[in-house]
Amino acid sequence: MTPHRAMPNWFVRRFVYGISGWVTLLSYLFMLLPIVVLLAFAFNAGKSTVVWTGFSLKWFEKVVTNRNIIQALQVSLIVAVASAALSTMIGAAAAVAITRRAFPGRDILSAALAAPLVLPEIVLSVALLVFMSFAGVTLGYTTMIIGHILISIPFATLIVRAAASSLDVRLENAAADLGANEWQTFYMVTLPQLMPSILTAFILSATLSFDNLVMSTFTSGVGTTTLPLRIYSMLKLGITPEINALGALMVLANVTILLLVMSRYLPLILKTNRR
Amino acid sequence: MIPDARGLPRASPHPVSKRMHMSPSTTDPRSAKAVVELKGVVKRFASFTALRQMDLTIREGEFFTMLGASGCGKTTTLRLIAGFELPTEGQILIAGQDVSDVPAHLRPVHTVFQNYALFPHLSVLDNVAFPLKVHRVAKPERMERARAALDLVQMGNFADRRPSQLSGGQQQRVALARALVNEPRVLLLDEPLGALDLKLRKEMQAELKAMQRRLGITFIFVTHDQEEALTMSDRIALMKGGEIIQLDTPSGLYDRPASAYVADFIGETNMVPARILSSDAQGTMVEAMGGQLRVAGSFDQPAGTEVKLAFRPERVGEAVSETDNSVEGRLADIEFIGTDLRMTHHMADGSRIVLRRQNSGLAVPDLGEIRKLSFRPKDLRIFGL
Repeated sequence: MTPHRAMPNWFVRRFVYGISGWVTLLSYLFMLLPIVVLLAFAFNAGKSTVVWTGFSLKWFEKVVTNRNIIQALQVSLIVAVASAALSTMIGAAAAVAITRRAFPGRDILSAALAAPLVLPEIVLSVALLVFMSFAGVTLGYTTMIIGHILISIPFATLIVRAAASSLDVRLENAAADLGANEWQTFYMVTLPQLMPSILTAFILSATLSFDNLVMSTFTSGVGTTTLPLRIYSMLKLGITPEINALGALMVLANVTILLLVMSRYLPLILKTNRR
Repeated sequence: MIPDARGLPRASPHPVSKRMHMSPSTTDPRSAKAVVELKGVVKRFASFTALRQMDLTIREGEFFTMLGASGCGKTTTLRLIAGFELPTEGQILIAGQDVSDVPAHLRPVHTVFQNYALFPHLSVLDNVAFPLKVHRVAKPERMERARAALDLVQMGNFADRRPSQLSGGQQQRVALARALVNEPRVLLLDEPLGALDLKLRKEMQAELKAMQRRLGITFIFVTHDQEEALTMSDRIALMKGGEIIQLDTPSGLYDRPASAYVADFIGETNMVPARILSSDAQGTMVEAMGGQLRVAGSFDQPAGTEVKLAFRPERVGEAVSETDNSVEGRLADIEFIGTDLRMTHHMADGSRIVLRRQNSGLAVPDLGEIRKLSFRPKDLRIFGL
């Protein structure tokens, strides 16, 4: 008898195919359940986050009237949009350069752009903090935006690079053949085809920045407390359903953005599901 | 001027448009001036020489085809003319101007690509308007001319579609409209019909040829399909190993092949071993297929030289009275191919030859019958080994 005897068909059908679905479902339930509980207790009337005492929207009211939270949200949005815009621009330019042109140091640039992916974020943050204080830069928006760019640029570059390397060079040839110079070819042919990936890179970068805690801890200054930092400091004073309500609002915002992005790609994803 | 009412508008800022007002019928391709010239062009890729010493003159208004098996250098030649590659040595002239160092986007030539290369993010109309947009033609005129070009290729009803919503043949037409809209001096076509099915290909062949006649634009066509080349071209350059081995009209290439390779590549050819018996100004006598045959023209090799004798299957005569220049063969097989019959004969020296005759409905001889096959001296060609 050979040691690698084929498994009987019924076994494969029953367990391997059958169970894999259940395992996935259960792991997702396990991961999502805490969020469901968090969402539910956002509507609790009492001050407890464990004992249900009745339905109420008062915690949401408290969140939207809390000046500190509104200000933190504003800071978070400014940093997210600014860092995502810059990181996407730099990332897209680098991606196009790396995939389209041979230049000295191309491999080094490509590795340098991916480096923050493997460096521990806390090391990166401390290094940046030391560098900034050495350079005499006051902590604030500038330092935080630079820090967040550092975090999101590998992702932005990778996303745009994947799209740029799958572009059809023949289309650029065709554009040149029809009389377009290099700049016209870039903005009339290359850029429009990269646009979906650039948008994706922007949204991912913005999300990364919006969720960031470690880098923000080291690079924020007076008056530039982001939403995650604010939540963290609120936790120190004890957990109230106000945090649950804030969490619920953040989940809602994230899901909305996700759905907006997905509505473009969902038909495609569903198509690849059926085989 | 384009004789067709749906044709491209006459008012065009493009300098080439003046030429379009000429009636194509007055442009005899034989006497017309050169529009593309290659002078001693060599193209090397690292260690591989794609083109060796290419000299070529393409005349204004002709349908010129570069024909050859894959890897013969025909596409490289086209890419050199388009400007996607620069020559390693030599000069390329377009309309008398040296363009050897001019980048693709500044050359007055447009290309129809094998894969069509339509821009997926633009509508059909915007694809066709693209060359006008990059030349900064104002929008109303741009759209009008793009629509006219789409009508020219009968794709007017598809203006708002995306390229991905079109069939291969339709994409082909759009690519053609896009390449023609700016009225290029020369249109380059890189195996444009390669991806189409046979019926569509035949249709497009006729249409392309008609369009070339009507517009009077020089077409430089690249194909590996000899039938396509023969039906469409004014002149054909047959290429092999980075060189032109014969440049001639389709009938010249078919009737007067310069070498055994050409005879074999173009159409069907019987090639049998032969030996020279005598040769003088009147003609050459050869021994072949177990008999003696007279061949037109002299052959400057001594008697006894081993050669190859080539002739077309449809030039083998069956009527004995026509000429006494004949040999005997046994009918071994008859193949029925609709319009024609192909009859394979075994000859006395062991060679097999094919005779092709029209399926005229006349009686068909029996298999195994010994038959006399006759040849006109000018239909026989001698090639050295």
